[in-house]
Amino acid sequence: MYIHIEEPTETISKDAVKVWRISNTIGHLAAILIIAVLVVCTEMFGWYGWIGIVLYILGGIFVLSSIFSILIEPTYLQNTWRYRIDQQFVQMKHGKWQVQHTLIPMEKVEYVRTEQGPIMRRYGLYNLEIGTTASNHIIPAIPAEEAKQLKGQIAVYAKIQDEDAVEGASDA
Amino acid sequence: MTEGVKRYHAAFIAVELVSFLKSSIGFFLFLFILKGSSTATWVIWGRYIFLIASVWTIFSIILKWYFHCYEIVGDSIVVHEGVVVKKQRSVALDRIHNQVSNTTFVHRWFGLTSLTLETGTSGENATFTFPVITEEERQRILLSLERGEASIEAVAKGKSSNTTIHFRSTKKDLVRASFTSLSFLAIFPLLSAIYFNLADFFQIEETAENALDYLLIHWWMLIVLFVLALAISVGIGFIKTSMKYGNYVISDDSERIYIEKGIGNFTSFSIQKHRVQAVIVEQTILKRLLGLASIKLLSAGAFGDEKGQEKSSLYPFMPKHEAYRILQIMLPHYHIEEKMNRFPIKVLWLKLLQPYYLTILAIIGLMIFKREWLWVAAIVFGLTILSRILDYWFTSYIRHGKTVQIRKGGFTNETFVTHRERIQQITVKHSWLQRKFGVATLTFTNKAKPLHESELYGVSNKEAGTFYNWYHKK
Repeated sequence: MYIHIEEPTETISKDAVKVWRISNTIGHLAAILIIAVLVVCTEMFGWYGWIGIVLYILGGIFVLSSIFSILIEPTYLQNTWRYRIDQQFVQMKHGKWQVQHTLIPMEKVEYVRTEQGPIMRRYGLYNLEIGTTASNHIIPAIPAEEAKQLKGQIAVYAKIQDEDAVEGASDA
Repeated sequence: MTEGVKRYHAAFIAVELVSFLKSSIGFFLFLFILKGSSTATWVIWGRYIFLIASVWTIFSIILKWYFHCYEIVGDSIVVHEGVVVKKQRSVALDRIHNQVSNTTFVHRWFGLTSLTLETGTSGENATFTFPVITEEERQRILLSLERGEASIEAVAKGKSSNTTIHFRSTKKDLVRASFTSLSFLAIFPLLSAIYFNLADFFQIEETAENALDYLLIHWWMLIVLFVLALAISVGIGFIKTSMKYGNYVISDDSERIYIEKGIGNFTSFSIQKHRVQAVIVEQTILKRLLGLASIKLLSAGAFGDEKGQEKSSLYPFMPKHEAYRILQIMLPHYHIEEKMNRFPIKVLWLKLLQPYYLTILAIIGLMIFKREWLWVAAIVFGLTILSRILDYWFTSYIRHGKTVQIRKGGFTNETFVTHRERIQQITVKHSWLQRKFGVATLTFTNKAKPLHESELYGVSNKEAGTFYNWYHKK
């Protein structure tokens, strides 16, 4: 049983999987390392017994979550991420177990910017961040050229639709 | 138009001084009266610090009055602030959403008032306050505001001298309000505070014991005392309510809604109709029993706090049908539908199927720390189930035309009505489990302070899709 929503069509870069794998690996390794150091400390300095137990549990959780977020999650995210930008709306969809559709009218867009971390630079990718008065949304891993173009496009569309001064005058 | 830089009225100094006295009187009493004979170092230091701070405050109030000023230049208001660090802020007149003026006792002595203009943005520069100005000056600012609006919106239709009054609170309303707000119960904390304060000075415990013995023998006096106390508390409650909700007037013209209230401390609030983001109808259990409702107008102005919310609400103790009628006249686009659809029963099963994190946490915690209290987890479990059932029972949803209306909440029941244009963004979510049940979660946000997010769990697939497309078509 699926919801009748016209799905957005644009996909994000295939390289997103690699980027996420690398960054998640680094993040989880760092966390597991810290926990390992703490475990050694408990042994050496004879901290309370329950601290050790908590640390082992935490470590277990992190190992499980790293398996998920390094091996499984990136493929699914990349597979399911869809977006569409037209004159009136920004449309986003992602997730497999938990599917999420978001719809933002252009006139509510306050700013748009691109950002790039060191790993993304290697693959020439950008995150596109769209901010509204309500919140901000990130469309991840878009190839450089496309990201730049989209940024310009959204800026233009959002500007055209900026009618805040007469906001809602139609139904007042 | 330029009418020159203006300073606030000289009574600014008096108003600020009174508010300073009000806030410092506690310190003064403590340092100089209660601890009057004390020679402890910290008390003496405290006195010096208090004196220095007082002198500095008074001095800075005068400086503030001298340096702070404002002017209206063209289509914007410019405010100059700061004694050492100069600050200049300006706002375009058409960016102002609501205005509030508050006339305290001190203002009234001098025949003055205050005015706060609220813009739709957040942060410390969101409001512009004119703390002490004359009534004419207020009118002048408001007039230039309207001019600004008119020039920008180019609405030349008959300007607004024809305000209609929709509601004026009567004595009957006040009596109802003072009972519904339970303000008469305020006597008990008051009495106990007096008792404990007096007990320090006199040996009240001993006398009280004797008195109690006496009263127990003469039991009829107990009854008389009780009735007397109740009468006093009802009286106090009534006075308190009258101070707050007396002279409540709701009126409107073609563009704005005006809410005025208060005896002694007089507040008036006005908002442009097209700035209303949503309407919320709130009913506590007590209000539901009495058929009352409080209606709030959600706006993007600076209403972060509880007080602000109160300002923008229509009379909070109005009979429901009366409130609806007024709302219908003032904001015909916000039609509230009484008959709403509850979700199908399968949503309840779905809600009950979700993991019980709190119960699990309670079980784990109690297992580790207090095994003999494990039964508490059962209570937590029971309460969770009860709250889920209530949540299901009271959640309903309806969409007609451009309007969305949702209702939520068990003990305090909240109905939220908004329009398609007012919704900032929507999200449709569905988890694996929800898909098995053919339902989804609907989330939409409205501009307000803080942001108003409405989440609806358990909307049918069909409606979720329709809702999405309805918003998409715009």
